[in-house]
Amino acid sequence: MSILNIAILITAALLILTGLYMLINTHNMIKIIIAIEIVVKAVTLILAFAGYVTGQYAVVEAFIITMIVIEVVVAVVAAGIAVNVYKNKGNMDVSELKKLKG
Amino acid sequence: MQTVIMFICLAVMLIASVAAAMLWSRITAAMCLALTSVSLAVILFILHAPWAALFELSVCAGLVTVIFASTISMTREYRQPDGTPSEYHVRFAPLPFILILVGVVLVAVVLISGFDVNITATESTTAVDTFKEVFWNTRQADILGQIIIILAGAFAVAILFKESTKE
Amino acid sequence: MPAYFATSMYAFMGAPLLVILVLTLAGRKLAEKWALTVGYIVGIIQMLTSIIAIILLWQYNKASITFSQFWSIQANDGAAYFSADVFSLIALFCIGMVTFAAFYTAKTMIGKKAFQFTNLMMVMILGMNGLALVTDLFSLYVFLEITGVSSYVLISINRDNKGLEGGFKYLIMSAIASAFILVSLALIFINTGSLRYEDISAISSSWMELSNPILILVAFVFLICGFSIKSGLVPFHGWLPDAYQSAPAPVSIMLGGIVTKMVGVYAIIRIVSNLLVESDTVVNTCFMVLALMSIIYGAVAAAGQKDFKRLLGYSSISQIGYIILGVSTGNILGYIGAIFHFFNHATFKTTLFVNSAAVEQQTGLSDITKMGGLHKQMPITGTSNIIAFLSAVGIPPLAGFWSKLFIIIAVWQTNGAIIASIALVASIFTAVYFLRIQKNIFFGPVNEKFADIKEAVKGFKLTEIALSVITIGCGLLFPVLLLLLQAQGIV
Repeated sequence: MSILNIAILITAALLILTGLYMLINTHNMIKIIIAIEIVVKAVTLILAFAGYVTGQYAVVEAFIITMIVIEVVVAVVAAGIAVNVYKNKGNMDVSELKKLKG
Repeated sequence: MQTVIMFICLAVMLIASVAAAMLWSRITAAMCLALTSVSLAVILFILHAPWAALFELSVCAGLVTVIFASTISMTREYRQPDGTPSEYHVRFAPLPFILILVGVVLVAVVLISGFDVNITATESTTAVDTFKEVFWNTRQADILGQIIIILAGAFAVAILFKESTKE
Repeated sequence: MPAYFATSMYAFMGAPLLVILVLTLAGRKLAEKWALTVGYIVGIIQMLTSIIAIILLWQYNKASITFSQFWSIQANDGAAYFSADVFSLIALFCIGMVTFAAFYTAKTMIGKKAFQFTNLMMVMILGMNGLALVTDLFSLYVFLEITGVSSYVLISINRDNKGLEGGFKYLIMSAIASAFILVSLALIFINTGSLRYEDISAISSSWMELSNPILILVAFVFLICGFSIKSGLVPFHGWLPDAYQSAPAPVSIMLGGIVTKMVGVYAIIRIVSNLLVESDTVVNTCFMVLALMSIIYGAVAAAGQKDFKRLLGYSSISQIGYIILGVSTGNILGYIGAIFHFFNHATFKTTLFVNSAAVEQQTGLSDITKMGGLHKQMPITGTSNIIAFLSAVGIPPLAGFWSKLFIIIAVWQTNGAIIASIALVASIFTAVYFLRIQKNIFFGPVNEKFADIKEAVKGFKLTEIALSVITIGCGLLFPVLLLLLQAQGIV
């Protein structure tokens, strides 16, 4: 499955690129969180691939499960902050987050 | 057969995430993310990580989508930060071309350099370890970490989602 | 090795968990009243335990102590356990010290949120203690995230616009950094089949002979980017001044004093010293360039700032640059200098953040251009500020002098005189911006508005005095430590 190995790595690279492009080009906080989730998906893919390559399936499975738990908590915190920004300002535009300046 | 399913899933994953980036509507983007998760779960299953696939399916495709949906419904906006859909689409129009370009370059690099991932898996490692044993016997620090981060999540929800009383 | 030694290690991972449990069970009213007191007691316990542990390690002539928290796992092969050596104990001492300072000064500033604040601070302390104790790269990532999550929430704990903005920016940058770190961990795992420190040290000398050497190169790129974001090195520093400026005062003491250093610098030191033993690798050169950029940019940008806390943020970028510069030399002198500067930076930056909180509380301002002549009214704050900034600039005999001296000598030995002199010249810029603070806030004519300002309250005064004593004491005692190191044949 050599072609498949390469395909997995390239897909992961393209997913990271998609996430970063989305992160830079959107002003919506929800979309930014989705962008981060896309990058995390790519990371999960590479981790699972690492387990497949080395044959250490069980260790990598433990890694991925721990990572998913962390990912959910981060998503919840990010959503919580976004909701609070909305409550304070009435919108979720990151380009308006410019209060802090030197 | 598995190889074919893998390729299909990888393609679905990529297309769904590009769609999540390019679609203007937030709820559709969240749904596309869920689709990405589902196809990732299938890939995880094929790559010998069934428990991780289960978690990916129930937590990432399920719970995270619910979080997004409720957040979006809590924050119906008067004015979209991303402007009108057409403005948004103009900003994201280069993305597919960039991806195709980078993909072609990467494939070309791989073909020219003859790069390949060397499989180091041996039969002995696969036979002994089962997930249950590895997780509970060798990842104690991670288990402690999971407990702590769930605590942190609980405190975060208690602070961030509390209805603000007039102070 | 006495049995109580391993048991005492529960102070690091057990005590904060116990505090969370007790506070939650005690009921809201009781918890609100005692939360902050319990918090600084945890800090004191942690400081004492780490000092005792260092002495015991010395006495029994051991490099590290290994222990597990719930059930014994040392029999299992490839297990991720906890282990404490001298460096992690120094880091734990710093965490205890900054925790004490943050809680001791929090009383007047955190108000009604004491209960939630304490719980989250305990989570943050658990995260940092875990970072100091783990022996596995993946567990390191887990505890990085714990520290991160609690800091985002703590920054935005007041739910005001500033705090939410700083918290969100930190969250985004930090999440990207974590993803990068995890990619590099996965690529390292492909080559080694394990992420324990002792197993990955095998790739240091012969990575070209590994099964997938190209992937290791990619992994290094992601690793450097990830940890540079986490520690706020230029050009990845964007979030750092925002987070410091927007956080409530006790939280910015924590962030500036220890959190950024634990999640970024400590992790870099651990990885570089485990992953890369040779001094002339590509990674070390990358870190050296990033460190020099941070030193110069941080110092220059700090000179132009108006907000006290934001200025300290830029100063942190510059000082973290010095620590990374010491690490990037790859020789033992550089490591000692880096670790000692890590400790010194925790001390003097905490002092400065406590001072900024004191000034802000008394005057209600954080804009340094609007103040003046506060030294007469706030003599203790003013004096401790002078001591802290002299230590930051590196004036003998204060502690900061010795660590900077070590770093610059190490750089001179490995990279030549030019880079060493750049680091030395940038040190003068440090003096420039600190003199500017001192002149604008504490010296000069008394501003009419602040005629009836008083010295900060007791909690601030005690913390300032204690931290200043540590700065002076370490500086004076350092020659003794030097002799000890010489006796061990290290220097």
